[in-house]
Amino acid sequence: MEAKHKILVLDDDADWLDMCRDFLAQLPSQPEIRTAATGVRALSMLDATPFRILICDLKMPRMDGLQVLSIVRRRFPELRTVVLTGLQDDQFRSRAYALGVDLFWLKPDMQQNSKLFLDCIESLLGQVDAGGFRDAQPKNLLDVIQMECLAGNSSVLRINSGAHIGKIWFQHGELTDAAADGADGEAAFRRILKWKSGTFESLPPEPERARTMTKSLESMLAELEETVEKAVNPGSVEELEQQKFIGQLAEIAVAGAEFIVTVPAKKEIAAKAWGTKNTEQLAAWTRMVEKSAQRLGETLSAGPLTHVAGHNLERHLLLLPQNGKTFVVGWPGESASTELFEQSKKLTLSWDS
Amino acid sequence: MGLLKWFSSSRPAAVHKLPSGSFTVDRHGHVMTGTVAADCPAAVLDGIAKEVLSVFREARAVQMPLAEVSLDFAGLKISARDMQGGAIIFLLPKNPLATAEAKT
Repeated sequence: MEAKHKILVLDDDADWLDMCRDFLAQLPSQPEIRTAATGVRALSMLDATPFRILICDLKMPRMDGLQVLSIVRRRFPELRTVVLTGLQDDQFRSRAYALGVDLFWLKPDMQQNSKLFLDCIESLLGQVDAGGFRDAQPKNLLDVIQMECLAGNSSVLRINSGAHIGKIWFQHGELTDAAADGADGEAAFRRILKWKSGTFESLPPEPERARTMTKSLESMLAELEETVEKAVNPGSVEELEQQKFIGQLAEIAVAGAEFIVTVPAKKEIAAKAWGTKNTEQLAAWTRMVEKSAQRLGETLSAGPLTHVAGHNLERHLLLLPQNGKTFVVGWPGESASTELFEQSKKLTLSWDS
Repeated sequence: MGLLKWFSSSRPAAVHKLPSGSFTVDRHGHVMTGTVAADCPAAVLDGIAKEVLSVFREARAVQMPLAEVSLDFAGLKISARDMQGGAIIFLLPKNPLATAEAKT
């Protein structure tokens, strides 16, 4: 039996999520509908389960929709994305499309044209999902290149795969040049072939472009096939970093923390943060608290500082000095304060590794 | 022998007693009331009050006002609660011997 497609709806409004769940249940293919109220939760769900479509709001606290979409575009290039927002702003629309979303709908329009919206979603669900490069129909990139060569075409193929953009130049059916991620020639060509999915468009030829690739088509294709076989996995450093980052995000989501900021001891090194936009101010406060604590520790001979904890009604904060930097971990106000020190320590150890 | 004499005549390191108890300070850092032993110099309490109040003040400045803050050192915990700009501050020395006795 064919497994049902899954749709993930991300919105910070719980009532809207309930409404969407009921509404999308009317889709003829009866997909499984899941919901997430935060970007972190959505990313961890996407990491754990393959989804077909992500329907995402734009305006959300902490991690907004555009941030989620930019991570999704890199991490899950095969995922279809739909923006469903109340923000009637063309800037957001164009930024969302620049991030490669498949559909952009305003919430009021969706409610008024519910049938059309459902048709669009059903159509996205119905499209073949075997990866590949999206044009009129899914194709293998290698097939596209071979077709260009065999047809003796002169053209430029522009290929988008997540955050990557590459170009391949053809002149009278011969590969003449390639460019991708700052690389040129054969190196760029091999890099492009490692991309597993994306979109491409054919641009007018550029006969004046200098030729950098001189190998015959046969030897190039033989090398290509070898490369494609090898590309079955070992990810690039960037991919591994991205995977690690997603793993860390998932850890935060599972633990229930709101944000993490790493504050290096040296002021010149910028603090890094996830989950808060208040990074610089928090970093300045953290450095100030550390200096106060240092003065107090010296005056009282109280020994080294192990941690600083603070709270208000909305959240708990923990400052943990570790390996020349200080981690600031924010937790929701309702968290049990007795366990936060140990939980924060666990989180910071994984972030520091 | 001279060397041994030098060792035996050297004074033992002074034992430093960490302050214990609680005290309240106003928004200007003046100590109002307290239960900290009288042998703890007032300047030490003033110093603690100054640092604690600045932690609260700076937290407010970055839009993250705190109701309570605690600084955990290896030998002492300083816990403070905001009191409308002033604070009540608790000094809690960590005494491993006392803990060991309590366990036995």
